[in-house]
Amino acid sequence: MTEEKTGAAPSILEIRSLEKSFDSLCVLKDISLEVERGNVLSIIGPSGSGKSTLLRCAAFLETADGGDILYDGQYALRGGVYASKAELNRFRRRFGLVFQNFQLFPHYSVLRNVSEPPTLQGEDREEARERAVELLKKMGLEGKENAYPYQLSGGQQQRVAIARALAMKPEILFFDEPTSALDPELTGEVLKVIRQLAEEKMTMVVVTHEMPFARAVSNCVIFMAGGVIVEQGDPLQVFDDPREERTRQFLRVFERG
Amino acid sequence: MSLMTMIVKMGEGLGKTCAIFFLTLLFSLPLGMIVALLRMSRIKAVSAVTRFFITILRGTPLMLQLLAVTYGPYYLFGATVARNKLIPVVIAFAINYAAYFAEIYRGGIESIPVGQYEAAEVLGYSKVQTFMRIILPQVVKRIMPSVTNEVVTLVKDTSIAFTVSYQEMFTIGKQIANSQTSFMPFVVAGVFYYCFNAIVDYLMGRIEKRLDYYQ
Repeated sequence: MTEEKTGAAPSILEIRSLEKSFDSLCVLKDISLEVERGNVLSIIGPSGSGKSTLLRCAAFLETADGGDILYDGQYALRGGVYASKAELNRFRRRFGLVFQNFQLFPHYSVLRNVSEPPTLQGEDREEARERAVELLKKMGLEGKENAYPYQLSGGQQQRVAIARALAMKPEILFFDEPTSALDPELTGEVLKVIRQLAEEKMTMVVVTHEMPFARAVSNCVIFMAGGVIVEQGDPLQVFDDPREERTRQFLRVFERG
Repeated sequence: MSLMTMIVKMGEGLGKTCAIFFLTLLFSLPLGMIVALLRMSRIKAVSAVTRFFITILRGTPLMLQLLAVTYGPYYLFGATVARNKLIPVVIAFAINYAAYFAEIYRGGIESIPVGQYEAAEVLGYSKVQTFMRIILPQVVKRIMPSVTNEVVTLVKDTSIAFTVSYQEMFTIGKQIANSQTSFMPFVVAGVFYYCFNAIVDYLMGRIEKRLDYYQ
Protein backbone atom coordinates (compact mmCIF):
# COMPACT_ATOMS: atom_id res chain seq x y z
CA MET A 1 0.00 0.00 0.00
CA THR A 2 1.50 3.29 -1.11
CA GLU A 3 0.62 6.71 0.17
CA GLU A 4 -0.53 8.67 -2.81
CA LYS A 5 -0.93 12.34 -1.99
CA THR A 6 1.11 14.40 0.37
CA GLY A 7 0.06 17.56 2.17
CA ALA A 8 -3.73 17.75 2.29
CA ALA A 9 -5.49 14.82 3.97
CA PRO A 10 -6.59 12.31 1.33
CA SER A 11 -10.27 11.70 0.65
CA ILE A 12 -11.86 8.86 2.54
CA LEU A 13 -12.82 7.27 -0.76
CA GLU A 14 -11.50 7.94 -4.19
CA ILE A 15 -12.43 6.07 -7.34
CA ARG A 16 -10.59 6.61 -10.61
CA SER A 17 -11.56 5.41 -14.07
CA LEU A 18 -13.46 2.43 -12.74
CA GLU A 19 -14.50 -0.11 -15.38
CA LYS A 20 -16.84 -3.04 -15.00
CA SER A 21 -18.49 -5.41 -17.47
CA PHE A 22 -20.80 -8.36 -17.01
CA ASP A 23 -19.72 -10.69 -19.81
CA SER A 24 -19.75 -8.37 -22.82
CA LEU A 25 -22.13 -5.84 -21.28
CA CYS A 26 -20.30 -2.76 -20.07
CA VAL A 27 -22.01 -1.53 -16.86
CA LEU A 28 -19.46 1.00 -15.58
CA LYS A 29 -17.39 3.17 -17.86
CA ASP A 30 -14.62 5.46 -16.69
CA ILE A 31 -16.18 6.27 -13.31
CA SER A 32 -14.26 8.73 -11.16
CA LEU A 33 -15.40 10.27 -7.91
CA GLU A 34 -14.13 11.44 -4.58
CA VAL A 35 -15.76 11.56 -1.15
CA GLU A 36 -14.40 13.98 1.43
CA ARG A 37 -14.60 13.36 5.14
CA GLY A 38 -17.95 14.42 6.61
CA ASN A 39 -19.63 14.74 3.23
CA VAL A 40 -22.69 13.05 1.82
CA LEU A 41 -22.64 11.94 -1.80
CA SER A 42 -25.90 10.94 -3.43
CA ILE A 43 -25.97 8.86 -6.59
CA ILE A 44 -29.14 9.14 -8.63
CA GLY A 45 -30.16 7.82 -12.02
CA PRO A 46 -32.52 5.45 -13.80
CA SER A 47 -32.65 1.72 -13.09
CA GLY A 48 -29.82 -0.15 -14.74
CA SER A 49 -27.61 2.93 -14.86
CA GLY A 50 -24.93 1.15 -12.82
CA LYS A 51 -25.27 3.09 -9.58
CA SER A 52 -25.77 0.02 -7.39
CA THR A 53 -22.97 -1.79 -9.21
CA LEU A 54 -20.70 1.17 -8.52
CA LEU A 55 -21.50 1.03 -4.81
CA ARG A 56 -21.02 -2.75 -4.76
CA CYS A 57 -17.64 -2.34 -6.43
CA ALA A 58 -16.64 0.12 -3.73
CA ALA A 59 -17.73 -2.47 -1.13
CA PHE A 60 -15.82 -5.27 -2.95
CA LEU A 61 -19.02 -7.19 -3.59
CA GLU A 62 -18.41 -6.89 -7.32
CA THR A 63 -15.04 -7.29 -8.96
CA ALA A 64 -14.06 -4.30 -11.07
CA ASP A 65 -12.18 -4.88 -14.31
CA GLY A 66 -10.11 -1.74 -14.31
CA GLY A 67 -9.33 1.49 -12.51
CA ASP A 68 -8.39 2.44 -8.96
CA ILE A 69 -10.19 2.38 -5.60
CA LEU A 70 -8.45 4.20 -2.78
CA TYR A 71 -9.48 4.36 0.85
CA ASP A 72 -7.78 7.17 2.72
CA GLY A 73 -5.16 7.40 -0.02
CA GLN A 74 -4.32 3.70 0.05
CA TYR A 75 -4.92 1.47 -2.94
CA ALA A 76 -7.47 -1.30 -2.57
CA LEU A 77 -7.59 -1.58 -6.35
CA ARG A 78 -4.82 -0.28 -8.55
CA GLY A 79 -5.03 -0.45 -12.32
CA GLY A 80 -7.60 -3.23 -12.09
CA VAL A 81 -5.49 -5.27 -9.66
CA TYR A 82 -6.78 -5.87 -6.15
CA ALA A 83 -4.75 -5.73 -2.96
CA SER A 84 -4.16 -9.00 -1.09
CA LYS A 85 -7.03 -10.73 0.72
CA ALA A 86 -5.68 -9.68 4.10
CA GLU A 87 -5.41 -6.08 2.97
CA LEU A 88 -8.93 -6.11 1.56
CA ASN A 89 -10.15 -7.40 4.92
CA ARG A 90 -8.53 -4.40 6.54
CA PHE A 91 -10.12 -2.05 4.01
CA ARG A 92 -13.48 -3.67 4.71
CA ARG A 93 -13.37 -2.36 8.25
CA ARG A 94 -13.37 1.18 6.91
CA PHE A 95 -16.84 1.02 5.37
CA GLY A 96 -20.30 -0.21 6.24
CA LEU A 97 -23.06 -1.12 3.83
CA VAL A 98 -26.83 -0.91 4.20
CA PHE A 99 -28.75 -3.08 1.73
CA GLN A 100 -32.01 -2.41 -0.03
CA ASN A 101 -33.66 -5.41 1.64
CA PHE A 102 -31.89 -5.07 5.00
CA GLN A 103 -30.30 -8.52 5.08
CA LEU A 104 -30.58 -8.80 8.84
CA PHE A 105 -29.77 -12.24 10.22
CA PRO A 106 -33.25 -13.67 10.88
CA HIS A 107 -32.14 -16.19 13.50
CA TYR A 108 -30.50 -13.52 15.67
CA SER A 109 -32.26 -11.14 18.00
CA VAL A 110 -32.06 -7.47 17.11
CA LEU A 111 -29.40 -6.99 19.77
CA ARG A 112 -27.26 -9.86 18.55
CA ASN A 113 -27.50 -8.66 14.96
CA VAL A 114 -25.82 -5.46 16.06
CA SER A 115 -23.49 -6.73 18.77
CA GLU A 116 -22.02 -9.91 17.26
CA PRO A 117 -20.03 -8.54 14.29
CA PRO A 118 -17.71 -6.34 16.40
CA THR A 119 -16.98 -9.20 18.81
CA LEU A 120 -15.77 -11.33 15.89
CA GLN A 121 -13.21 -8.60 15.25
CA GLY A 122 -11.93 -9.12 18.77
CA GLU A 123 -13.93 -6.47 20.55
CA ASP A 124 -14.96 -7.05 24.15
CA ARG A 125 -18.44 -8.64 24.39
CA GLU A 126 -19.75 -6.32 27.05
CA GLU A 127 -18.49 -3.25 25.24
CA ALA A 128 -20.05 -4.35 21.97
CA ARG A 129 -23.32 -5.06 23.76
CA GLU A 130 -23.40 -1.65 25.38
CA ARG A 131 -22.69 0.12 22.12
CA ALA A 132 -25.38 -1.95 20.38
CA VAL A 133 -27.94 -0.91 23.00
CA GLU A 134 -26.87 2.69 22.59
CA LEU A 135 -27.05 2.62 18.79
CA LEU A 136 -30.46 0.95 18.85
CA LYS A 137 -31.68 3.66 21.19
CA LYS A 138 -30.34 6.28 18.82
CA MET A 139 -32.23 4.61 15.98
CA GLY A 140 -35.43 4.85 18.02
CA LEU A 141 -35.54 1.12 18.69
CA GLU A 142 -35.36 1.11 22.46
CA GLY A 143 -37.14 -1.93 23.86
CA LYS A 144 -36.76 -3.90 20.63
CA GLU A 145 -33.43 -5.48 21.63
CA ASN A 146 -34.89 -8.94 22.20
CA ALA A 147 -37.25 -8.92 19.23
CA TYR A 148 -36.49 -10.91 16.10
CA PRO A 149 -36.31 -9.21 12.71
CA TYR A 150 -39.56 -10.78 11.44
CA GLN A 151 -41.41 -9.08 14.27
CA LEU A 152 -40.38 -5.63 13.08
CA SER A 153 -41.69 -3.38 10.31
CA GLY A 154 -39.50 -2.81 7.26
CA GLY A 155 -38.55 0.63 8.51
CA GLN A 156 -37.52 -0.77 11.88
CA GLN A 157 -35.55 -3.54 10.23
CA GLN A 158 -33.69 -1.05 8.09
CA ARG A 159 -32.86 1.02 11.17
CA VAL A 160 -31.49 -2.11 12.84
CA ALA A 161 -29.38 -2.65 9.71
CA ILE A 162 -28.06 0.90 10.01
CA ALA A 163 -27.23 0.33 13.68
CA ARG A 164 -25.48 -2.90 12.74
CA ALA A 165 -23.36 -1.11 10.15
CA LEU A 166 -22.54 1.69 12.60
CA ALA A 167 -21.52 -0.77 15.31
CA MET A 168 -18.43 -1.58 13.23
CA LYS A 169 -17.36 2.09 13.55
CA PRO A 170 -16.98 2.62 9.82
CA GLU A 171 -15.36 5.75 8.44
CA ILE A 172 -17.81 5.76 5.57
CA LEU A 173 -21.28 4.33 5.24
CA PHE A 174 -22.77 3.09 1.94
CA PHE A 175 -26.52 2.94 1.37
CA ASP A 176 -27.80 0.90 -1.56
CA GLU A 177 -31.33 2.18 -2.19
CA PRO A 178 -32.13 1.98 1.54
CA THR A 179 -35.80 2.88 1.17
CA SER A 180 -36.74 1.17 -2.09
CA ALA A 181 -38.32 -1.78 -0.28
CA LEU A 182 -40.38 0.47 2.02
CA ASP A 183 -43.72 2.19 1.71
CA PRO A 184 -43.74 6.02 1.91
CA GLU A 185 -44.51 6.17 5.61
CA LEU A 186 -41.64 3.88 6.56
CA THR A 187 -39.36 5.60 4.05
CA GLY A 188 -39.71 8.79 6.06
CA GLU A 189 -38.48 7.26 9.31
CA VAL A 190 -35.41 5.77 7.63
CA LEU A 191 -34.55 8.99 5.79
CA LYS A 192 -34.87 10.87 9.08
CA VAL A 193 -32.21 8.64 10.60
CA ILE A 194 -29.87 9.10 7.63
CA ARG A 195 -30.42 12.85 7.79
CA GLN A 196 -29.53 12.79 11.47
CA LEU A 197 -26.29 10.96 10.65
CA ALA A 198 -25.50 13.59 8.02
CA GLU A 199 -25.92 16.29 10.64
CA GLU A 200 -23.42 14.44 12.80
CA LYS A 201 -20.96 14.60 9.89
CA MET A 202 -21.02 10.90 9.11
CA THR A 203 -19.44 10.35 5.69
CA MET A 204 -21.97 8.62 3.44
CA VAL A 205 -22.63 7.54 -0.12
CA VAL A 206 -26.32 7.05 -0.82
CA VAL A 207 -27.76 5.44 -3.94
CA THR A 208 -31.34 6.66 -3.93
CA HIS A 209 -34.48 7.50 -5.83
CA GLU A 210 -35.56 9.98 -3.16
CA MET A 211 -34.86 13.24 -4.98
CA PRO A 212 -35.97 15.75 -2.33
CA PHE A 213 -33.88 13.88 0.21
CA ALA A 214 -30.81 13.85 -2.06
CA ARG A 215 -31.25 17.53 -2.76
CA ALA A 216 -31.58 18.48 0.90
CA VAL A 217 -29.00 16.25 2.53
CA SER A 218 -26.11 15.78 0.10
CA ASN A 219 -23.04 17.90 -0.42
CA CYS A 220 -22.61 16.43 -3.85
CA VAL A 221 -24.86 14.63 -6.33
CA ILE A 222 -23.86 12.29 -9.12
CA PHE A 223 -26.28 11.57 -11.93
CA MET A 224 -25.53 8.30 -13.71
CA ALA A 225 -27.02 6.85 -16.87
CA GLY A 226 -25.89 3.99 -19.05
CA GLY A 227 -22.88 3.20 -16.90
CA VAL A 228 -21.31 6.66 -17.03
CA ILE A 229 -21.41 9.70 -14.80
CA VAL A 230 -23.40 12.19 -16.83
CA GLU A 231 -23.17 15.02 -14.37
CA GLN A 232 -21.87 15.66 -10.90
CA GLY A 233 -21.84 18.66 -8.68
CA ASP A 234 -23.58 20.68 -6.02
CA PRO A 235 -27.12 19.32 -5.42
CA LEU A 236 -28.79 22.67 -6.01
CA GLN A 237 -27.04 23.04 -9.33
CA VAL A 238 -27.73 19.47 -10.47
CA PHE A 239 -31.39 19.55 -9.44
CA ASP A 240 -32.32 23.14 -10.24
CA ASP A 241 -30.05 23.96 -13.14
CA PRO A 242 -28.74 20.74 -14.71
CA ARG A 243 -26.14 21.23 -17.40
CA GLU A 244 -26.87 18.05 -19.35
CA GLU A 245 -29.97 17.33 -21.36
CA ARG A 246 -30.01 13.70 -20.11
CA THR A 247 -30.17 14.93 -16.52
CA ARG A 248 -33.00 17.35 -17.32
CA GLN A 249 -34.89 14.56 -19.03
CA PHE A 250 -34.51 12.28 -15.97
CA LEU A 251 -35.49 14.95 -13.44
CA ARG A 252 -38.52 16.03 -15.44
CA VAL A 253 -40.14 12.68 -14.71
CA PHE A 254 -40.03 13.48 -11.00
CA GLU A 255 -41.38 17.02 -11.42
CA ARG A 256 -44.36 15.65 -13.25
CA GLY A 257 -44.67 12.99 -10.53
CA MET B 1 -45.61 -70.37 19.34
CA SER B 2 -47.62 -67.92 21.41
CA LEU B 3 -47.90 -64.28 20.40
CA MET B 4 -46.05 -63.33 23.59
CA THR B 5 -43.06 -65.51 22.68
CA MET B 6 -43.03 -63.97 19.23
CA ILE B 7 -43.00 -60.46 20.62
CA VAL B 8 -40.22 -61.30 23.08
CA LYS B 9 -38.09 -62.98 20.42
CA MET B 10 -38.54 -60.15 17.95
CA GLY B 11 -38.03 -57.62 20.73
CA GLU B 12 -34.59 -59.09 21.26
CA GLY B 13 -33.76 -57.98 17.69
CA LEU B 14 -34.88 -54.42 18.40
CA GLY B 15 -31.49 -53.57 19.88
CA LYS B 16 -29.89 -54.38 16.53
CA THR B 17 -32.57 -52.45 14.65
CA CYS B 18 -31.76 -49.45 16.86
CA ALA B 19 -28.04 -49.99 16.25
CA ILE B 20 -28.55 -49.74 12.49
CA PHE B 21 -30.78 -46.71 12.94
CA PHE B 22 -28.59 -44.67 15.26
CA LEU B 23 -25.25 -45.58 13.70
CA THR B 24 -26.58 -44.75 10.25
CA LEU B 25 -27.71 -41.33 11.43
CA LEU B 26 -24.48 -40.77 13.34
CA PHE B 27 -22.40 -41.25 10.20
CA SER B 28 -24.71 -40.17 7.39
CA LEU B 29 -25.80 -36.79 8.80
CA PRO B 30 -22.26 -35.32 8.87
CA LEU B 31 -21.12 -37.31 5.83
CA GLY B 32 -24.04 -35.84 3.90
CA MET B 33 -22.74 -32.34 4.66
CA ILE B 34 -19.32 -33.20 3.27
CA VAL B 35 -20.92 -34.70 0.17
CA ALA B 36 -23.13 -31.61 -0.23
CA LEU B 37 -20.11 -29.31 -0.05
CA LEU B 38 -18.23 -31.45 -2.59
CA ARG B 39 -21.31 -31.42 -4.81
CA MET B 40 -21.33 -27.61 -4.68
CA SER B 41 -17.57 -27.33 -5.19
CA ARG B 42 -16.43 -24.71 -7.64
CA ILE B 43 -13.98 -27.25 -9.03
CA LYS B 44 -16.01 -28.75 -11.88
CA ALA B 45 -14.41 -32.22 -11.73
CA VAL B 46 -15.13 -32.57 -7.99
CA SER B 47 -18.77 -31.60 -8.31
CA ALA B 48 -19.26 -33.79 -11.41
CA VAL B 49 -17.77 -36.89 -9.76
CA THR B 50 -19.79 -36.29 -6.60
CA ARG B 51 -22.92 -35.82 -8.63
CA PHE B 52 -22.25 -39.11 -10.44
CA PHE B 53 -21.92 -41.04 -7.17
CA ILE B 54 -25.09 -39.46 -5.84
CA THR B 55 -27.02 -40.59 -8.92
CA ILE B 56 -25.77 -44.15 -8.42
CA LEU B 57 -26.67 -44.19 -4.73
CA ARG B 58 -30.09 -42.74 -5.34
CA GLY B 59 -30.73 -44.60 -8.57
CA THR B 60 -30.12 -48.16 -7.39
CA PRO B 61 -31.91 -50.09 -4.63
CA LEU B 62 -30.48 -49.87 -1.13
CA MET B 63 -30.88 -53.65 -1.00
CA LEU B 64 -28.53 -54.03 -3.94
CA GLN B 65 -26.00 -51.65 -2.36
CA LEU B 66 -26.20 -53.61 0.87
CA LEU B 67 -25.48 -56.87 -0.95
CA ALA B 68 -22.59 -55.24 -2.82
CA VAL B 69 -20.99 -53.93 0.37
CA THR B 70 -21.48 -57.21 2.24
CA TYR B 71 -20.51 -59.75 -0.43
CA GLY B 72 -18.66 -57.60 -2.96
CA PRO B 73 -15.28 -57.98 -1.20
CA TYR B 74 -15.69 -61.77 -1.30
CA TYR B 75 -16.45 -61.91 -5.03
CA LEU B 76 -13.84 -59.28 -5.94
CA PHE B 77 -10.89 -60.22 -3.72
CA GLY B 78 -11.93 -63.51 -2.14
CA ALA B 79 -12.04 -61.73 1.20
CA THR B 80 -13.98 -63.48 3.96
CA VAL B 81 -17.45 -62.09 4.53
CA ALA B 82 -17.57 -60.09 7.75
CA ARG B 83 -18.82 -62.11 10.74
CA ASN B 84 -20.45 -59.10 12.26
CA LYS B 85 -22.88 -57.99 9.59
CA LEU B 86 -23.51 -54.75 11.44
CA ILE B 87 -20.39 -53.27 9.86
CA PRO B 88 -21.35 -53.72 6.17
CA VAL B 89 -24.96 -52.87 7.00
CA VAL B 90 -24.03 -49.56 8.59
CA ILE B 91 -21.53 -48.76 5.83
CA ALA B 92 -24.12 -49.35 3.12
CA PHE B 93 -26.86 -47.49 4.97
CA ALA B 94 -24.65 -44.55 5.94
CA ILE B 95 -23.39 -44.02 2.39
CA ASN B 96 -26.85 -44.36 0.90
CA TYR B 97 -28.47 -41.99 3.36
CA ALA B 98 -25.58 -39.52 3.07
CA ALA B 99 -26.44 -39.17 -0.62
CA TYR B 100 -30.04 -38.29 0.23
CA PHE B 101 -29.08 -35.95 3.06
CA ALA B 102 -26.52 -34.28 0.77
CA GLU B 103 -29.21 -33.31 -1.69
CA ILE B 104 -31.43 -32.04 1.13
CA TYR B 105 -28.55 -29.97 2.54
CA ARG B 106 -27.71 -28.63 -0.89
CA GLY B 107 -31.29 -27.54 -1.45
CA GLY B 108 -31.27 -25.84 1.95
CA ILE B 109 -27.96 -24.09 1.43
CA GLU B 110 -28.93 -22.86 -2.03
CA SER B 111 -32.20 -21.47 -0.69
CA ILE B 112 -30.40 -18.94 1.52
CA PRO B 113 -30.31 -15.54 -0.22
CA VAL B 114 -26.93 -14.36 -1.53
CA GLY B 115 -27.51 -11.16 0.43
CA GLN B 116 -26.92 -13.05 3.68
CA TYR B 117 -23.42 -13.98 2.52
CA GLU B 118 -22.81 -10.44 1.34
CA ALA B 119 -23.99 -8.89 4.59
CA ALA B 120 -21.72 -11.21 6.56
CA GLU B 121 -18.77 -10.51 4.27
CA VAL B 122 -19.12 -6.75 4.61
CA LEU B 123 -19.37 -7.15 8.40
CA GLY B 124 -16.04 -8.95 8.47
CA TYR B 125 -17.23 -12.54 8.94
CA SER B 126 -14.77 -15.08 7.59
CA LYS B 127 -15.99 -17.78 5.20
CA VAL B 128 -16.14 -20.33 8.03
CA GLN B 129 -17.85 -17.92 10.43
CA THR B 130 -20.41 -17.06 7.76
CA PHE B 131 -21.24 -20.70 7.17
CA MET B 132 -21.30 -21.82 10.80
CA ARG B 133 -23.03 -18.78 12.32
CA ILE B 134 -25.23 -17.37 9.59
CA ILE B 135 -25.96 -19.97 6.94
CA LEU B 136 -26.05 -23.34 8.71
CA PRO B 137 -28.55 -22.41 11.46
CA GLN B 138 -30.97 -21.13 8.84
CA VAL B 139 -30.41 -24.20 6.68
CA VAL B 140 -31.14 -26.55 9.60
CA LYS B 141 -34.48 -24.89 10.20
CA ARG B 142 -35.46 -25.02 6.54
CA ILE B 143 -34.56 -28.67 5.99
CA MET B 144 -36.07 -30.13 9.16
CA PRO B 145 -39.29 -31.38 7.48
CA SER B 146 -37.30 -33.14 4.72
CA VAL B 147 -34.85 -34.62 7.21
CA THR B 148 -37.74 -35.92 9.31
CA ASN B 149 -39.04 -37.63 6.19
CA GLU B 150 -35.74 -39.39 5.61
CA VAL B 151 -35.41 -40.42 9.26
CA VAL B 152 -38.88 -41.96 9.21
CA THR B 153 -37.96 -43.84 6.04
CA LEU B 154 -34.76 -45.04 7.67
CA VAL B 155 -36.71 -46.64 10.52
CA LYS B 156 -38.56 -48.79 8.02
CA ASP B 157 -35.51 -49.36 5.81
CA THR B 158 -33.66 -51.08 8.67
CA SER B 159 -35.76 -54.12 7.72
CA ILE B 160 -33.74 -54.41 4.51
CA ALA B 161 -30.90 -55.80 6.65
CA PHE B 162 -32.73 -59.16 6.46
CA THR B 163 -31.19 -59.61 2.97
CA VAL B 164 -27.80 -60.26 4.61
CA SER B 165 -29.35 -62.17 7.54
CA TYR B 166 -28.39 -59.58 10.13
CA GLN B 167 -30.40 -60.62 13.17
CA GLU B 168 -32.42 -57.43 13.61
CA MET B 169 -36.09 -57.42 14.50
CA PHE B 170 -37.53 -57.94 11.03
CA THR B 171 -35.06 -60.71 10.13
CA ILE B 172 -36.09 -62.61 13.25
CA GLY B 173 -39.74 -61.99 12.45
CA LYS B 174 -39.29 -63.32 8.94
CA GLN B 175 -37.60 -66.45 10.26
CA ILE B 176 -40.45 -67.05 12.71
CA ALA B 177 -42.98 -66.45 9.95
CA ASN B 178 -41.27 -69.10 7.82
CA SER B 179 -40.94 -71.70 10.54
CA GLN B 180 -44.46 -71.17 11.94
CA THR B 181 -46.16 -70.45 8.61
CA SER B 182 -47.79 -67.48 10.31
CA PHE B 183 -48.41 -63.93 9.24
CA MET B 184 -48.47 -62.72 12.85
CA PRO B 185 -44.74 -61.80 13.01
CA PHE B 186 -45.29 -59.28 10.19
CA VAL B 187 -48.17 -57.71 12.10
CA VAL B 188 -45.94 -57.50 15.18
CA ALA B 189 -43.16 -55.95 13.06
CA GLY B 190 -45.62 -53.40 11.66
CA VAL B 191 -46.65 -52.40 15.16
CA PHE B 192 -43.02 -52.10 16.25
CA TYR B 193 -42.16 -49.82 13.31
CA TYR B 194 -45.25 -47.75 13.84
CA CYS B 195 -44.40 -47.16 17.50
CA PHE B 196 -40.76 -46.43 16.68
CA ASN B 197 -41.84 -43.82 14.15
CA ALA B 198 -44.37 -42.31 16.53
CA ILE B 199 -41.44 -41.59 18.86
CA VAL B 200 -39.31 -40.26 15.98
CA ASP B 201 -42.17 -38.00 14.88
CA TYR B 202 -42.62 -36.68 18.37
CA LEU B 203 -38.92 -35.93 18.85
CA MET B 204 -38.47 -34.29 15.45
CA GLY B 205 -41.58 -32.25 16.09
CA ARG B 206 -40.03 -30.97 19.32
CA ILE B 207 -36.88 -29.95 17.49
CA GLU B 208 -38.91 -28.14 14.84
CA LYS B 209 -40.84 -26.34 17.59
CA ARG B 210 -37.59 -25.26 19.15
CA LEU B 211 -36.53 -23.65 15.89
CA ASP B 212 -39.85 -21.84 15.65
CA TYR B 213 -38.62 -18.75 17.46
CA TYR B 214 -37.97 -16.97 14.19
CA GLN B 215 -39.29 -16.98 10.65
